[in-house]
Amino acid sequence: MKDEYKNIRKAAEILGVSINTLRRWDETGKLKSIREKAGKHRFYRRKDLELFKMSLFDLAMDWALDKKGYGPEDKFYCQNSSIFQGRLDHLTGDLKRIPELSILYSLISLITGEIGNNSFDHNLGNWPDIPGIFFGYDINKKEIVLADRGQGIFYTLKRVKPDLKNHKEALSVAFTDFISGRAPEARGNGLKLVRKVIEKNPINLEFQSGDALLKLQRDGKKLNIKKGQKSIRGCIALIKF
Amino acid sequence: MNIYLKKFGTLLTSRQLGKEAFAIFKISLNKLKHGEKLIIDFEGVEVFSPSWGDEFLTPLINQYGERLVLKNTKNASVQATLDMLEKIHGYKFTIDKK
Repeated sequence: MKDEYKNIRKAAEILGVSINTLRRWDETGKLKSIREKAGKHRFYRRKDLELFKMSLFDLAMDWALDKKGYGPEDKFYCQNSSIFQGRLDHLTGDLKRIPELSILYSLISLITGEIGNNSFDHNLGNWPDIPGIFFGYDINKKEIVLADRGQGIFYTLKRVKPDLKNHKEALSVAFTDFISGRAPEARGNGLKLVRKVIEKNPINLEFQSGDALLKLQRDGKKLNIKKGQKSIRGCIALIKF
Repeated sequence: MNIYLKKFGTLLTSRQLGKEAFAIFKISLNKLKHGEKLIIDFEGVEVFSPSWGDEFLTPLINQYGERLVLKNTKNASVQATLDMLEKIHGYKFTIDKK
């Protein structure tokens, strides 16, 4: 019986979220706690927690889709590019320690850096609500997740390509067309590099902005862009290696 | 003149950091003698991105052309980024393959 129920502190630890997040999820009905009476301590069934244990991607998507917007868990939140740079350095170190990634580690870090920095470069001073990005990774599952609540690829690219019609077209341009010239703003063509690296290496990417979902993999010659299940304003990326 | 890029860090990503690195580095270019080669050594660099590279290398190749020589470029991200910069700008880096 004792092992069947966890208090809120233990439950937060198991799920890797804060106690405040659990309280919010309880209030919105996303993860209901069990209480003997109103106002009494919250408890959670162990099995419920196991079922609920969300993937990093689910957590990031949940954050990106939230209507009001809130700061994500500290361990995933990079409020500015300096924090992101520090955590990217940490990721690079973790990847480098894996023997089979002795060559690939620098490319995985490179594409992670390009996607994360892209969010900062194109939203600096224009974040609609929460500044910064969600950045998390799980070395055992071999996955990296990045998300932002920024303006999205369509809106930011429209500034240099006013003829763009929708999110799908914007993603296609972002990952395909070289936007040369340094005016009206400097561009590193980072997402084109991401595509080129993935085409030649055992890395998969799912990247969504708006309602357009792009899937990239090794030897994928044609861009595979479909409609995502839900539309997000900013961007979300799942890298698997 | 030999420059070790790792003096700017081993993780060379983001346009802003590339811009800052170049602003500091260009002061030391006064010491470059007439006709002398400018050798940029990538030894120890772990991650090198196009945005950082664009801010640092593009002004150098525009100014020095073939006098700019790149060394120890075997790291996979360095190679991918140099290829990308050549494609974007249409220039060709001189690589010391020794």
